[in-house]
Amino acid sequence: MHAIEAQGLRKTYPGGIEAVKGVDFEVGEGEVFGLLGPNGAGKSTTVGMLATTIVPTAGSARLAGHDVAASPLLARSVSSVVFQEAVVDRGLSGRANLELHTRLWGVPPQTAKRRASELIEALGLSELIDRPVHSYSGGERRRLEIARALSSEPQVLFLDEPTVGLDPRIRHELLDVIAGLRTRDELTILVTTHYLDEAQRLCDRVAIIHEGSLVALDSPAALLAKLGREILEFRVDGSAERALATLRDLGVATEDAFAIGARITVPLHDHAATEAFAAIDSGRLRVSEIATRVPNLDDVYLQLTGGALGEAA
Amino acid sequence: MSAIAEPVPVTVRAPRRVRTTGALATLARRRAALTASNPRQILVPLIGPALLAMVVAPALKVATGGLHSHIDYESFVGIGAVGLVVPLSCIFAGLSVIVDRHSGAQRELLAAPVPRPYLVLGNLAVAIALSALQVAVLIGLSALRGGAFHITADGVAWFAGAALLFTVFMYGVAETLASRIATQEEYVGATPAVAILPFFLAGALFPIGAMPGALTTIAKFLPLTHALALMRYAFVDPSGHGLHDIWGMSNVTVEAWLSLAVVALFAAALTAVSIRMFSRSAVS
Repeated sequence: MHAIEAQGLRKTYPGGIEAVKGVDFEVGEGEVFGLLGPNGAGKSTTVGMLATTIVPTAGSARLAGHDVAASPLLARSVSSVVFQEAVVDRGLSGRANLELHTRLWGVPPQTAKRRASELIEALGLSELIDRPVHSYSGGERRRLEIARALSSEPQVLFLDEPTVGLDPRIRHELLDVIAGLRTRDELTILVTTHYLDEAQRLCDRVAIIHEGSLVALDSPAALLAKLGREILEFRVDGSAERALATLRDLGVATEDAFAIGARITVPLHDHAATEAFAAIDSGRLRVSEIATRVPNLDDVYLQLTGGALGEAA
Repeated sequence: MSAIAEPVPVTVRAPRRVRTTGALATLARRRAALTASNPRQILVPLIGPALLAMVVAPALKVATGGLHSHIDYESFVGIGAVGLVVPLSCIFAGLSVIVDRHSGAQRELLAAPVPRPYLVLGNLAVAIALSALQVAVLIGLSALRGGAFHITADGVAWFAGAALLFTVFMYGVAETLASRIATQEEYVGATPAVAILPFFLAGALFPIGAMPGALTTIAKFLPLTHALALMRYAFVDPSGHGLHDIWGMSNVTVEAWLSLAVVALFAAALTAVSIRMFSRSAVS
């Protein structure tokens, strides 16, 4: 049994919009699992189905062994969600929002009080907690929502795009808070994001979701390793697809090279950069902004979905 | 897809037991706290009905000579104004449901380990309490302005029963609309049809028999008509003229029970519909 199990999870909205096209994954206890993809990829819908706020069209899911369809109350009792948008009672104080959560999740009053004090301190909310939430900044509200979600000591925590819309400083503060949650051994976290650096920084494993389907699932290091240690990147004057074909014919680029618009990315694998430069010369390609660098998850994501993005462009 | 790294198995922890009555009380307390943080929601629904009972009714009594019966017109309209204050109060409460959905904590509540109908019932409990307060203030103001109310234990029971069931019905209407309607603007646009139109047809300002026959027939199917006739029977019309206008029977007690049953039926039906609508619309 795993902390989170999803099997063939599918959601088709009225009008035939297939938001999630049957995803399968398991997340172990204490793991931080990232669901990575652009807006509209199906991340929030997947979280909604796991959190029982969206009814799946097909498939099944279990949280800590509790089936979300057959035993929704039990599944909800072991999980908490930090939603993408602010989901708080703005007219109430931060403390009232925390108390509401612990009461609804059946936390004994003494335990709730102790937990609230710890979390208020840990998340830097002491000065704000008795103020109405409508007076909070975006980052303060996010910290309150994380404290609220943790106050019931969930086994599974869903963080749906926790840093979206925050300014860079607050975003980094919050990432630090989330990274700190990794020390809680029994807490399993599923975090969705379209910021690849967040996934790389926070997650033990990452699933890349594209147009409702999982296209990759592994540790960030393993996903990066598939692109080798170095990539070559440049802009090409003319058809990027033709230039890519030329480089493949010359044996420098393999099937994992990709083009987004006029920008070509070539994982070098066993080739030296000088070999690639020579191939560009011999292929008479007119290029600019040429550079080599270490691959990141952006490259993994674009390599896996680049065809579709290229077609869209 | 890449090979899946093997996850660590989970430790089974007994889930915390959530007491359902405690959850209902928590949800009601939440709604009460939100309502108290916005006093306009308490005061605004009272303004129109209070003016009606304290200014319009006495003026109409002077201008028209009042009703051609032994019932005091100020008292008659004082009760009739309940037919405006309860719908307005419930419609305001329904508006809070839309606010909850768009910018409040509704999704947090949907993710909580409580049965979803409790989210509706918690709001309903506060709508009842608020309406009771507003009705008490309205009747009090009407009495201060000269309305003659004959308060007996039986009367209080009939009045409370009718007012309670009518409030449950109206909240059911409001919650159903809030679940069906996407925006606050559209919801407010629907308010006259559900909160104000029945007020003019249900004998709030004059006996239903004073209307053309077809409208009188329509009025007999409105729960507000039955609720107002019962409330007047309780406090100002022990002979049950309003109930006779509806049922045309000789036994006023039987007529009162029948009207109470009608309002109860509407209340039960709309509560069931509102819970169903909420459950269907809140969870996509």
